[in-house]
Amino acid sequence: MIGCYDFCGHYEWTFEWLRQLGGHELVRAYWDEAIHQDSQLHASELIAGKGIKGMKEYWGPTLADEGAVYERTVTDDVFRIDMHECPSKGFLISNGLEQYRDYCDHCMGWIGPLMKKAGFVIDHEHNHCGQCWWEMRRKADASPASAPGALSGKSDVRLRSDWKADLVGSIDHYERATDPDDKTAVS
Amino acid sequence: MPPAASHANALPYTDTKPVGHADFYFAVNATFRFILRHHGEEALRKYWRDIGSSYYKPVSERWMQRGMAGVAEYWRAFFAAEPGATVEVTESAEEVRLEVKTCPVIRHLREHGREIVPQFCQHCYFVSEAIAEPAGMTVRVCGGNGSCTQRFMKRTANVPTQNLEDIATAS
Repeated sequence: MIGCYDFCGHYEWTFEWLRQLGGHELVRAYWDEAIHQDSQLHASELIAGKGIKGMKEYWGPTLADEGAVYERTVTDDVFRIDMHECPSKGFLISNGLEQYRDYCDHCMGWIGPLMKKAGFVIDHEHNHCGQCWWEMRRKADASPASAPGALSGKSDVRLRSDWKADLVGSIDHYERATDPDDKTAVS
Repeated sequence: MPPAASHANALPYTDTKPVGHADFYFAVNATFRFILRHHGEEALRKYWRDIGSSYYKPVSERWMQRGMAGVAEYWRAFFAAEPGATVEVTESAEEVRLEVKTCPVIRHLREHGREIVPQFCQHCYFVSEAIAEPAGMTVRVCGGNGSCTQRFMKRTANVPTQNLEDIATAS
């Protein structure tokens, strides 16, 4: 049986299996169709129906159940997550699992299309080491992403001493995005 | 001692949590549906065989080293980490038998009103067979759709081939 205990391991393995079968487009379709529209249908309905309130309802229990170390900052206009210990990436790192080129892309791969449908855009960065931050705002709100510490104070993951330390590559950066390929690298 | 330590010797990959998050079963079911829709049933069977022989290769190696004792150890640790599973594991020198009283996946999908891929229960045969074969073993699955029997045996000529009609359609 394929179980849920080591889900992140076979989930990541599946990305590469799909890439070899149908290329990058099939992986993108998988994140959108299988994860956003099927597996995470409950999240999609909650956020499309309730907006930021729905994000609070979804990400509170879910991240806690997954064992994440994170902070949420919520205002009327923005929903922010500072992820200090991603349980998913952490599992892969601790077990030495890396088949696909960038596991972290899967989050934007399903959350991006979900937010687009719900009328939101995303500012986001991930450092490939289990830390990332997200800010979701309504599409009509032209506000830029917050400066480090301005919105979530000391909880801002960008203030960590290891946010950019010892990175082999770079931090992936998204501005007002809803597509996993809309990223730029920040050295 | 971290919670995962009890699994450390029998499972190839370990987490800091003692038990997995059941909502991930939604994604397993959705993954099967996606492959089936885009590439058909043969591709889905290939996915199951490939994940068994690749991702679960460390399990094969352990079974090869430990024999039936390793098979029993694996499934006891495996189901201890799956939320809502009720499974009896019995072993002899010739066979390990799993009596799955409550399949945690089918239960969770039903509880949440998810449409279950009809071929869902076949994955237990195809994945486990791909794990077992390199270890000189084979598996037969009977039942499904919430409860089943899985027999892990030495790979000999007198074991009848798996009849897929013995595996129930999931719903």
